[in-house]
Amino acid sequence: MAQGNGRAIDYDALVKPDAVHGDCYIDPDIFAEELKKIYGRGWVFIGHQSEIPNAGDYVRKWIGLQPVIFSRDKAGKYHVLFNRCTHRGASICQHDKGNVGGFRCEYHGWFYRLDGALQAIPYQEGYGDNFDRTQYNLRRPPRLDEYRGFVFASLSPSGIPLREHISGPAQRQIDYACDLSPEGELVVQSGATKLAYNGNWKLQMENSIDGYHPNFTHQSFISTLERLTGAKVEIFSGDAKTQSRDLGMGCSNIDSRRANIEHPHAQARLKMMQGTSWGKKYYDDLVAAHGKERAEEVLIVNGTHMNVFPNLVVLAGQVRTIQPISTERTEVYLRPSLLKGVPDEVNTQRIRQYESFYTAAGGGIHDDVEMFNRVHEGLRCNQDPWLVFRRGLHREQTDNDGTIFSQGTDETAQRGMWRHWKSVMQQDAN
Amino acid sequence: MSSLREKVENFLYKEARLMDENRYMEWFELLADPCLYWLPANEEDYDTNKHASLFYGDRNTINNHVIRLTEGKAFAQEPRSRMRRVVSNIEIEDGGEEVSVHANFIINEIRKHEQRYHTGRTHYKLAPADGSFKIKYKKSVLVSLDEMQENLTFLV
Repeated sequence: MAQGNGRAIDYDALVKPDAVHGDCYIDPDIFAEELKKIYGRGWVFIGHQSEIPNAGDYVRKWIGLQPVIFSRDKAGKYHVLFNRCTHRGASICQHDKGNVGGFRCEYHGWFYRLDGALQAIPYQEGYGDNFDRTQYNLRRPPRLDEYRGFVFASLSPSGIPLREHISGPAQRQIDYACDLSPEGELVVQSGATKLAYNGNWKLQMENSIDGYHPNFTHQSFISTLERLTGAKVEIFSGDAKTQSRDLGMGCSNIDSRRANIEHPHAQARLKMMQGTSWGKKYYDDLVAAHGKERAEEVLIVNGTHMNVFPNLVVLAGQVRTIQPISTERTEVYLRPSLLKGVPDEVNTQRIRQYESFYTAAGGGIHDDVEMFNRVHEGLRCNQDPWLVFRRGLHREQTDNDGTIFSQGTDETAQRGMWRHWKSVMQQDAN
Repeated sequence: MSSLREKVENFLYKEARLMDENRYMEWFELLADPCLYWLPANEEDYDTNKHASLFYGDRNTINNHVIRLTEGKAFAQEPRSRMRRVVSNIEIEDGGEEVSVHANFIINEIRKHEQRYHTGRTHYKLAPADGSFKIKYKKSVLVSLDEMQENLTFLV
């Protein structure tokens, strides 16, 4: 049993192989323990490097509920700094983003460099002759690392490296998203959709890799799409070749590699893509950068649709961050990503596709949000507190790379997330 | 003969009423061909090919949007929002072929017993047509354009 806030919580009794107890979403003690063990210890996604391209750029972020500043110094190095003056605790950064020479605490005028070093204190003689300014540098998370521009921090000085948290198969999913650029880089500078819902943060994580809901939750979007194209949307049906996949360490995805590669029109799609001068240039540049085989694989697979535990989603050309607030509230930031080094038309198309589904006035994301609110309402009924995650349990297989997969509408991805969640929550409190 | 201001006001009030009453297909009839409808996100102005908007689309995209709102099961509007909006602070620039209009709006929306307000300012470019107008361009800038957005699955 793990120790909560003075109360022992039996996670074996709450997370079963095929069901999860509603308390995992609504119990404030469990939420407090998540902040300690998941957000206060393990790797947490901060932001993408390209959000702060220039010296002096910064954006505000969070690690759990703790505000941090993601900044770039004059030498081009990025930093994650706690947004708290080391003097008397005031936050030192008031804007969501900007470009500055450093951070001044406006309470008593302490001034910090972009790398967090304390540079100046007004009337420093008042601290005596032997005052060592460096002991009051801005505090920072003990560990910082990145994978392909995705920057993560950990509040624990020890633990597994980021490249174990993001397993090999999970890295290869991120690679699919990045390798759509001939330079291998995403550019996350195209604004954000910001949305909030009444409910637990894990509802958004579960939903991001849920291949079962689109035909129902998003039926208005899909029926409009079918009407426009005259073709039936088949990728979300119970016999589609998509796969629900547990990538390990709580990471998971809806894997459409096989569905896209084996699609009867896969080659025709590649041809169609080259039907314009800019499409042809994009194809040629990608082949020149990655070789024909990899370039065509990347184009046919077309990105990824994945979660990185606990708070990152990479899907459909966007970088999504999930921000827990309480058991009653979650904020979500969706940031469309562009591809570095491609014709403008390719990126414009990405923006238009993003808008069609993922904004407050768009065609899809708020139908998901509506479902999160409905689940949160339903969770108040405790006669039968279980949420059932048994779909496809009988037909799971282990792949050559060690990942577990099943049919695309199955709940293998969610089971993977919950299995990892339980193992983290069962760790010792200290 | 009614004045230009009276004509513009009548047109904006009618548009507001159609939007409030979810009469999307009738609203669509107010659009010129071609036309553009833009709801900026995060900032008031930017290159729309490089920055995502809450909505950005031509006549065709708008048509798909209203079809989804009208015919589809858009659960974010199940149950539907009740809405009434006030349009005011109207400033008009008569360019002859094109009338440029700026107007503030306050939308009071209630859905599932929660009341919300959406406020902002819209820039219209209107083309005179049959004694009234058609909308060539509509850009609505929400005061809350960079805030957490709840469902805006209706017309602003």
